[in-house]
Amino acid sequence: MHINATLINLYHICARECWLHANGIRMEHTSDTVYDGKLLHEMSYPLRADRHTEISLTAEFSNEIVLTGKVDFYDSKARTIHETKRSNKTAAAHEWQCKFYIWLFALNGIDDVQAILEYPKSRERTNIFLSEADSVYLSNTVDEVYHLLRSDLCPPRLDEKICKHCSYHDLCYSGEDLSSY
Amino acid sequence: MYIILVYDIEQQRVGKMLKLCRRYLNWIQNSVFEGEITEVKLKELLATAKDIMNVHKDSIIIFSSRDEKWLEKQVIGIERNELDNIL
Amino acid sequence: MKKSYYLFNPGRMSRKDNTLQFIPVDAAGIEGTPKYIPVESVANLYAFGALDANSSMYNFLGKEQISVHFFDYHEHYTGSFMPKDYLLSGKVLIAQTQHYTHQKKRLLLAQKFVSGATGNMLKNLKYYHNRDKDTSIQIDRIEDLSSQIWETDSIEMLMGIEGNIRITYYSSFDTIINDFEMGIRSKQPPSNEVNALISFINSLCYTLCLDAIYHTQLHPTISFLHQPGFRRYSLALDLAEIFKPILSDRLIFTLLNKKIVTKGDFDIQLNSCLLKESGRKKVVKSWDERLSETIMHRSLKRNVSYKHLVKLECYKLVKHILDMEGYQPFKAWW
Repeated sequence: MHINATLINLYHICARECWLHANGIRMEHTSDTVYDGKLLHEMSYPLRADRHTEISLTAEFSNEIVLTGKVDFYDSKARTIHETKRSNKTAAAHEWQCKFYIWLFALNGIDDVQAILEYPKSRERTNIFLSEADSVYLSNTVDEVYHLLRSDLCPPRLDEKICKHCSYHDLCYSGEDLSSY
Repeated sequence: MYIILVYDIEQQRVGKMLKLCRRYLNWIQNSVFEGEITEVKLKELLATAKDIMNVHKDSIIIFSSRDEKWLEKQVIGIERNELDNIL
Repeated sequence: MKKSYYLFNPGRMSRKDNTLQFIPVDAAGIEGTPKYIPVESVANLYAFGALDANSSMYNFLGKEQISVHFFDYHEHYTGSFMPKDYLLSGKVLIAQTQHYTHQKKRLLLAQKFVSGATGNMLKNLKYYHNRDKDTSIQIDRIEDLSSQIWETDSIEMLMGIEGNIRITYYSSFDTIINDFEMGIRSKQPPSNEVNALISFINSLCYTLCLDAIYHTQLHPTISFLHQPGFRRYSLALDLAEIFKPILSDRLIFTLLNKKIVTKGDFDIQLNSCLLKESGRKKVVKSWDERLSETIMHRSLKRNVSYKHLVKLECYKLVKHILDMEGYQPFKAWW
């Protein structure tokens, strides 16, 4: 099974979204927010594309699990990953995604990599480093995601405020009001 | 949202702008377009437009409203292009 | 919201500067002024007239995920150009297949389609019953038949009941519709105005469902009520059952009773009746307007268009076949 950075990100937002995404039930095409994020990427990077490169990483985690990640912008001189996000609503998940990238570099023998998480809209920047404890946590998380994805059962919906802005909202909440039956 | 887009672009660049706008909006008369568009699609249109424009010489103006129904339209003289999805 | 474009005038559609250009051509073969259709605003195209187009246009439409539905001169639906699938999920495909091959699972879904369709038919009958159109015989008969839906133990038996419900339902049309007689349902060719309208609008409803399915992970050829292979995209037929009473039939009643479509819009031959182009245009216009009308969705708690309602039905099916949430068909409550 391949576990990538997106799934690690989603797992920290909503296990259901992680499961659906991994099983090919995608909703990006229905969401203006997702499209806006895509535009942000395209618009904020071309200027510095010369110094940064896109880089794909893989690492074997166990017999069954291969970790993968695609870093859009990596500055090899400064050993820095640049990750841009639209909004900081799910900042914790974004941080784990960045730490996962750093971890992937470490698993490939490249140490001392850091990440800069940027929110151009609110002009925020966070520097991200990976601690020993983070690596242990990520390793446990990969196991949890593995078990989640092996299951045939989709996790329940979150019923949180963020659901309203999620691209899966209409899928999750389209059930009929049973009082009408 | 529903927008009216007008541009004033120097001749050597105007062809490109015309072609770009035709992808997103209905042409109604010289350098004027209108139509329904989502916020992100408008953002995309404008980002591409900025690459074409010389911002010191050209301009684009957008009039927007939440819904077409808030916009009263009168045509005097010939209507160059009727907007209809039944052709 | 993207729009459907309905092409009646003969002409040539082509890809031009990364958007669509339509050049009408008149009977003498003289080209009119080109019209540009903003590709970003196009949901799909309907070709009613002679459409001239080349592969570069279809490649372009394919890339933009725009389908084209074709109708022949006699307004019969003849087929669709469906772009390559872009939403694939092995999980959904397998689960959908399993819900077909597993007899009980298939029957349950089929029963739900019939029960949803019946609920919506009854809603129509009751609506008109409250407006001095006596449909009590049909209401009683259908309520009686619908109680048998859940007792069926095969698709054939269910289809039998469904057929009886539909015959009973159609027998009310002569009461509901003023000034026109339908008699019995006839399809090839339709024998009178009402039958002509039903055939035409039902095929619009089918293409609506087909497009909704295309934009989800569901596979359009694996169906539950209709036998797969009965039509190319039989799942669209299943889905259309739910929406025909709400979208097609209500529109027919309105068009005829409000005299939007009149005798003069039909071409009546010895034993067939078809819509003239004037009639077809009126129908298509009203159909298109109807689809963008909105209702307050009770669980989403926001206004959604009828068109989006069909998409939501697909989501509910996805959830059902993945054992996330049992499917309850959409039933009109107003």
